Amino acid sequence: MSQRTERRGIHVDQSDLLCKKGCGYYGNAAWQGLCSKCWREEYQRVRQKQIQDDWALAEKLQREEEAAYASSHGVQTQSHSQSTAPHPGHASLGPFSKFEEKKTNEKTRKVTTVKKFFSPSSRTATKKETQEGKTPSPSISRRASFDTDQVSRDFLDFLKNLQKPGREIHKQCRVFIVNMLSKKDLGADELSECVQDFYQNMADRLMSHFKGSSDSVEQVMDQVEKYIMTRLYKSVFCPETTDDEKKDLATQNRIRALHWVTIQMLCVSVDEEIPEVSENVDKAITDIIEMDSKRVPRDKLVCITRCSKHIFSAIRITKNEPASADDFLPALIYIVLKANPPRLQSNIQYITRFCNPSRLMTGEDGYYFTNLCCAVAFIEKLDAQSLNLSPEEFERYMSGQASPRFNGSEGDWPHTGSALGITATNPVLAQVNHNLELLSGLSGRQERLMEAAQSLQADLLSWSDSVQREVHDIREKYPLEILSCTVPAIDANNIDNDNLPSPLTPQVFSG
Amino acid sequence: MAAGGMGGKTYSFKVVLLGEGCVGKTSLVLRYCENKFNDKHITTLQASFLTKKLNITGKRVNLAIWDTAGQERFHALGPIYYRDSNGAILVYDVTDEDSFQKVKNWVKELRKMLGNEICLCIVGNKIDLDKDRHVSVEEAESYAESVGAKHYHTSAKLNKGIEELFLDLCKRMMETAQAEERLKGNGASQSASSRRGVQIVDDELQATPAGGCCSSG
Repeated sequence: MSQRTERRGIHVDQSDLLCKKGCGYYGNAAWQGLCSKCWREEYQRVRQKQIQDDWALAEKLQREEEAAYASSHGVQTQSHSQSTAPHPGHASLGPFSKFEEKKTNEKTRKVTTVKKFFSPSSRTATKKETQEGKTPSPSISRRASFDTDQVSRDFLDFLKNLQKPGREIHKQCRVFIVNMLSKKDLGADELSECVQDFYQNMADRLMSHFKGSSDSVEQVMDQVEKYIMTRLYKSVFCPETTDDEKKDLATQNRIRALHWVTIQMLCVSVDEEIPEVSENVDKAITDIIEMDSKRVPRDKLVCITRCSKHIFSAIRITKNEPASADDFLPALIYIVLKANPPRLQSNIQYITRFCNPSRLMTGEDGYYFTNLCCAVAFIEKLDAQSLNLSPEEFERYMSGQASPRFNGSEGDWPHTGSALGITATNPVLAQVNHNLELLSGLSGRQERLMEAAQSLQADLLSWSDSVQREVHDIREKYPLEILSCTVPAIDANNIDNDNLPSPLTPQVFSG
Repeated sequence: MAAGGMGGKTYSFKVVLLGEGCVGKTSLVLRYCENKFNDKHITTLQASFLTKKLNITGKRVNLAIWDTAGQERFHALGPIYYRDSNGAILVYDVTDEDSFQKVKNWVKELRKMLGNEICLCIVGNKIDLDKDRHVSVEEAESYAESVGAKHYHTSAKLNKGIEELFLDLCKRMMETAQAEERLKGNGASQSASSRRGVQIVDDELQATPAGGCCSSG
């Protein structure tokens, strides 16, 4: 407290500027008042502790998972499994975990910094506390690990129904994940190959187990994908070994540079003036943006599919016939341009590399994903010809020297006031116009409100005046007369006293 | 591999529809999957991705039909669409010479990129407008033969030739898939056994397609 008040003052004490450790160098507020050297030492120490915490937590989770698994299979009684399960789990991991420890430590260090940027929703954090009742620790990774934790639990629940093969699947997946985490420095393509090989192996074996029922296989494969990819997401999404991030930025800038592309240039058969259509367009944009927040490739695909369905609805309402690819692709391009979804290239790469191939190749989701890839490819290569513009026009628009909305709607430009003329040419201007109208309406209401408030104030003042005046009048009319009143003796008013016979006097009788 | 017969029981095939805009690609699939033409009562929300389940000589076939955007400016995106497809239906309008030229371009490109693995169908649509025909039957059929494709005449409006087109295509894709399976059946046994896993089960897996081949052959 005292420090703060000092800091608020104009003069600063020399001692406040120096490193808190007293090493003689100047400190910095960004380093909590330490100098760079002391801060690094301090930070290193805290981080080391956090890594240890994380590692302990990881082990704990591992044991819990084992225990949950054992108990879920009724191999042991509930009380037994809790006391014994950690041992076999630990034993089987024993030599392995020692071996992996270094690598995992390295990994955690990296991941925690990344996690700071992608910290998950707080919803999971509260859930965790109620379910686990663990002592809260400052480690950020714990919150993130909860998502995976929940997924593991779901996965175990799901495998319960499969009994023995379920156990086998679980084991395979776990071994695979540990393996994958140790291969962090491999290139993205190699990682992808590992995952795809794993899917293939798993699918083959499941196929023989289910005697060729591809529906059941797909169901299990979905769960396997969900489990594995939730765990691996952090290390394999947009890995440092690739230039995904660079491509993301390039695409983002490209889309930004193309802000002037209108719905007419793309020949999109979507009429945004129909409220239902523009609602669908908005939903499609939301969906495509939401894709980035999902971790499992399949969930990302679901977002793309939802987005596509909204586009289809928009086209269907506009044209009143089922949308063909001729309508769909331009509309999707338009949506991507409007949405500018975050990390688009990374997401596409991630899905391509790690999605279960059976979905990506032939399924409906795969079709929409392919269209999204097409849309991105189109946007990257887009030129004057593809928008039916002359190269000069295209150049001018790209360099920002001209804007199609001014050129194209020159005729309408003077009628800024009439919303109709504008909407026909440019939805953005229409929106601006609409907003302006809304604002002027609001300010009108504000004025009226102020007037009413003022008249109310005046009314109140005059009312109190009139009340005062009335009171005064009444007081004038009926002046208050205070009758003087003497306090009488008890019998003062008793006039009849005189009529009373004289009091009896005692008589003395002699005799 | 992706679309190969899973255990020899169900085939999944991906078929791309290629061709210029306005040649009637969409009408063609809508007629096939919904048996409707230019109908206001078409229930499907979209006609760009349609599926059809078939049963051909006791084998189940899942057909996924991928429509592609036909506009010229999207031509360069073709490879993204037809990657991994088992069949391609190249549609032209018999009244439009230009659309037939486009089909020729597509054939060249597909053969270059995918080789002979892909089953090609060249389809002259709108034969109900035969009086305005600009592409001669002989020319089209001889061209198709020269590139190893089958030629069909269809009319989505009159519902002519469409069932045959798809049925034929499915049969040809099944043959291709079976041939591929047979090839793999010889080579795959080593790679399969080298994979870690339950050996007995793997053997069983191997037995299934082998049996299928014998019975079919």
